[in-house]
Amino acid sequence: MKHGARDVGLLLLTGVLAVSVTLAWRQWTSPAIASAEKQMQSRQRLAVLPEGSYDNQPLESPLPRPAAQRPNSRILAAYRATMAGKPSAIVLVTQAQGYVGPIVLSVAIATDGRLIGSQVVEQQESPGLGAHLADPQLQWLKQFDNRHQGDHWALKRDQGDFDQLAGATVTSRAVIAALQDALNYFDEQRSVWLEGAAHE
Amino acid sequence: MNRFCLLAMSLAPLLGATRTLGEGAAIGLCAVVMGCLHQLLLAPLRKRVASWAYVLASLLLLAALASCLQLAMRAWLLPLAIALGHYPALLCLQCLASDHLLPDQRRWHVLAKHLGAVFASCLLLGASRQWLADHTELHLASLAPGALLLLGLLLALYNRLRPGSAHPHRQGKP
Repeated sequence: MKHGARDVGLLLLTGVLAVSVTLAWRQWTSPAIASAEKQMQSRQRLAVLPEGSYDNQPLESPLPRPAAQRPNSRILAAYRATMAGKPSAIVLVTQAQGYVGPIVLSVAIATDGRLIGSQVVEQQESPGLGAHLADPQLQWLKQFDNRHQGDHWALKRDQGDFDQLAGATVTSRAVIAALQDALNYFDEQRSVWLEGAAHE
Repeated sequence: MNRFCLLAMSLAPLLGATRTLGEGAAIGLCAVVMGCLHQLLLAPLRKRVASWAYVLASLLLLAALASCLQLAMRAWLLPLAIALGHYPALLCLQCLASDHLLPDQRRWHVLAKHLGAVFASCLLLGASRQWLADHTELHLASLAPGALLLLGLLLALYNRLRPGSAHPHRQGKP
């Protein structure tokens, strides 16, 4: 019985030490975790803007999101990049349904409605097929650079202008629809976003 | 079926978190750190408590270690933490199995050999999977079933190359 009590005592002591050390460690690391997550999100979402094209902190003051869903995608966030007070680009973070799961893209649109560039933030497509979307050697998203809203936003087999990813038609169509939605949304909001900034 | 089958518990992180060399090195290091710290913290309790209390204490310590490890990775190595997902938590099973299987004599010696082997296999698996996925079109290597096949092939190669003792195929006097 004496040994039993001692066992329980040591076990309780171990438990209390384990829980308190874990909680203290969590407290100690939470600011570092918050800043690391913010930095990673900013790097991912703003990496699509060219270097030196903006001098503000776009993530600090996000633009309001659309009230209604777009037909083929969902605008998750919108940010405005300014250079010396004048708006230089809009970054839209959009999500579309790919073949396996959601594809999150970060799209940069210039003030004249031209698509500057786009990057994949998150995707879970099949490796070797849809996952080539994010392949830096293939650079499939580069074919959309410098395109406008008025172009034929479809695959070549659908009478459009763009090549598809080999063996990944669903992924390709989803991405094209999402980019077209982003450009349409920019067109709807351009007066509010661009003139609104000039008055600040 | 001998008790070394328990080592199959270490398969989940070995196959799931070794997609590239970097990930393999990271999960290998996590396994080594967790294994060493676990044994270090349990050493004072081994001779002093009954076996039921020892198992519970071992579980509590493992939970604390896994939580602190994951928090530390999220704070200072966030991209790596996201790539590894929940696999560092699954290392707890491996630590439990090795704690159960380690002998009483020469414990640290056997632990060092075991952790060295785990680290080496994580590195080897990570390197070969990355090479296969990047340089050949073998995309199966970047998925878990391909990793299991590759692990089997590597073990077969190791057994072939290792100069082991010849097993006698007949009974009775040699």
